[in-house]
Amino acid sequence: MNDLEARLARCFAAAFPGIDPSVITSASLETEEAWDSVAAVTLVTLIEEEFGVQMDLEALEHLSSFSSILNYLSGLPSIR
Amino acid sequence: MKLVEALEALKHNAAIESPVLQVDLACGFTPLHFLTFLNAHLRAAFPGHKVQIGTGLYGDLPGTLARIEREKSSIVVAVVEWEDLDPRLGVRRLGGWRPGQLAGIVQSARDQASRLGDSLERIAQSGGVIVSAPTLPLPPFAFTPGWQSSSFENELREVVAEMMVRLSKSAGIRVVSSQRLDRISAPAERWDVKSALNTGFPYHLGHADQLAGIIARLAAAAPPKKGLITDLDDTLWMGILGEAGVDGVAWDLDHHAQKHGLYQQMLASLSEAGILIAAASKNNPALVEEAFQANRPVLARERIFPLEAGWGPKSEAVSRILRAWNIGADSVVFVDDSPLDLAEVKAVHPEMNCLLFPRDDDRAAYQLLENLRDLFGKTSLSEEDAIRMESLRTSHTVLDAARAHGYTPDDFLRDAEGKLTVTASKTPLDPRALELINKTNQFNLNGRRITEASWRQYVDDRDVFVLLASYQDKFGPLGKIAVMAGRREGKRISVDHWVMSCRAFSRRIEHACLLYVFRKLEVEEALFDFAPTARNGPLQDFFAELGGGAPGAAFSLTAQRLSEKCPPVHLRVEELPDE
Repeated sequence: MNDLEARLARCFAAAFPGIDPSVITSASLETEEAWDSVAAVTLVTLIEEEFGVQMDLEALEHLSSFSSILNYLSGLPSIR
Repeated sequence: MKLVEALEALKHNAAIESPVLQVDLACGFTPLHFLTFLNAHLRAAFPGHKVQIGTGLYGDLPGTLARIEREKSSIVVAVVEWEDLDPRLGVRRLGGWRPGQLAGIVQSARDQASRLGDSLERIAQSGGVIVSAPTLPLPPFAFTPGWQSSSFENELREVVAEMMVRLSKSAGIRVVSSQRLDRISAPAERWDVKSALNTGFPYHLGHADQLAGIIARLAAAAPPKKGLITDLDDTLWMGILGEAGVDGVAWDLDHHAQKHGLYQQMLASLSEAGILIAAASKNNPALVEEAFQANRPVLARERIFPLEAGWGPKSEAVSRILRAWNIGADSVVFVDDSPLDLAEVKAVHPEMNCLLFPRDDDRAAYQLLENLRDLFGKTSLSEEDAIRMESLRTSHTVLDAARAHGYTPDDFLRDAEGKLTVTASKTPLDPRALELINKTNQFNLNGRRITEASWRQYVDDRDVFVLLASYQDKFGPLGKIAVMAGRREGKRISVDHWVMSCRAFSRRIEHACLLYVFRKLEVEEALFDFAPTARNGPLQDFFAELGGGAPGAAFSLTAQRLSEKCPPVHLRVEELPDE
């Protein structure tokens, strides 16, 4: 797990308190029961806080898994 | 605190048997991350408690308060923002900002503030309330440019100011300090319009964290420090008395010594609010007295007791002062300009808060004043605050004189004409009872602190009795100095709380309290929920004296045992009738 993945995993662990650490990297809207609107807002806020970015609202609709968010963050100039 | 840290803190749950701290949060916005921060800060402020926070419906502050009124919550946190006074002052409603509507907005805000004030005052009758006035900027609703303050804006601020004046004068209500919040949360960086529009949560995280932190501090209401020991030279005044002479010390603008005058002004204020003030100085005692008489400092000589001037180590002078005050070092602040003396005192009294007087730094000196106000600040003042120093001084003077004349303790107590006045009234509940329970260390049954909400809930139990005793003798009053609370169960009482101020020691008031409670409640046995603490040695000694050995976890005493072991009590006991 690289640094970016580790930081994102920390955000997931905080947003979903009961999540098994071993499944964080495969977590998605489908696999996590706790992934409701409040958890999603919390996750976005944690990511913004951790990475110092403002997430694009239109992009958010497609960010429904650990891997999709990781790809999104990897593409941001301030993160690369 | 970052959001991730707050969420992390919430993962650690208190033990299952921990007492519950029930908090109701009333706000018009979606509480979201504010709820997280508030929970985390309350957990930190109330270790060992299970914090449970209830919330109301989004956008309905009055409705939430109405529900809380019916349910009689314990601690209520009301966070008011402009849109709670009129939705047109927020950004999620489109009621209009037309010039013709502005007077109506002000009037509706005035009416709503009045209703919210009524509701909060009713809630405060049964539980503690913490209120925050609007913290966010007003929207650009008026027709003036942003750099001009319109009459409508000023009227709205007047509405809020009037509401907060009213609430801050109400018993049981504490208002968040806007000035302190402004310092730790920059006003221009509080408002998160993107979040407000998309989620209904209007705060930037930093603001939510700081506001929640202040509210948790208000909820915890940590007991203030009890006494301050100050150095004199280059601290209470500018200059070295022994070198400059009586006329060479100063504390005014003319001598560029105003920070010493302000420090004196703060100490005089603290003294009048019931804080004990003493001085420890390496000086000639006679010269010190002469300096006070000749110069009339802002802090009058009469406000200082004891004044320890001499050439021994500061720590020894401090130890003598602590003995005279009969309070622990952890309740005391020591202020000196000498890092060496501070270190020496700290080495002997590690629990004491030792603060440097920054004689060469005006800004740091002003910060010291603010720090002192935080350490000694009180929610309200009581009658006891006004007489504390004088009663202490009188006790010492009289006891010293008695010893000098060869009086035995019995001789002294017999001649003192002591009178104990006891009240068992629970309505109205005297806030002094809880104050004593939460600030007394030495004569304290178990050292347990209790929240205002838990105390109210406890006292509301019809089987619970609360006795509050005040004392006075021919040398003056000590005020309300002892509390006993417990339950009557047939011919036995279970005592949950019993505390007595250290100022009241050596008068056999504790014996008188026991004799009174056995007689008044017509019981044969008292079972005490005793727990030894590092500080309650005097109570342990008292129990050992009555019980014939070290007390156990549940110390029991019969009326017969008390009558056999009790020394003569030279006190007249009076009862105040229930109101």
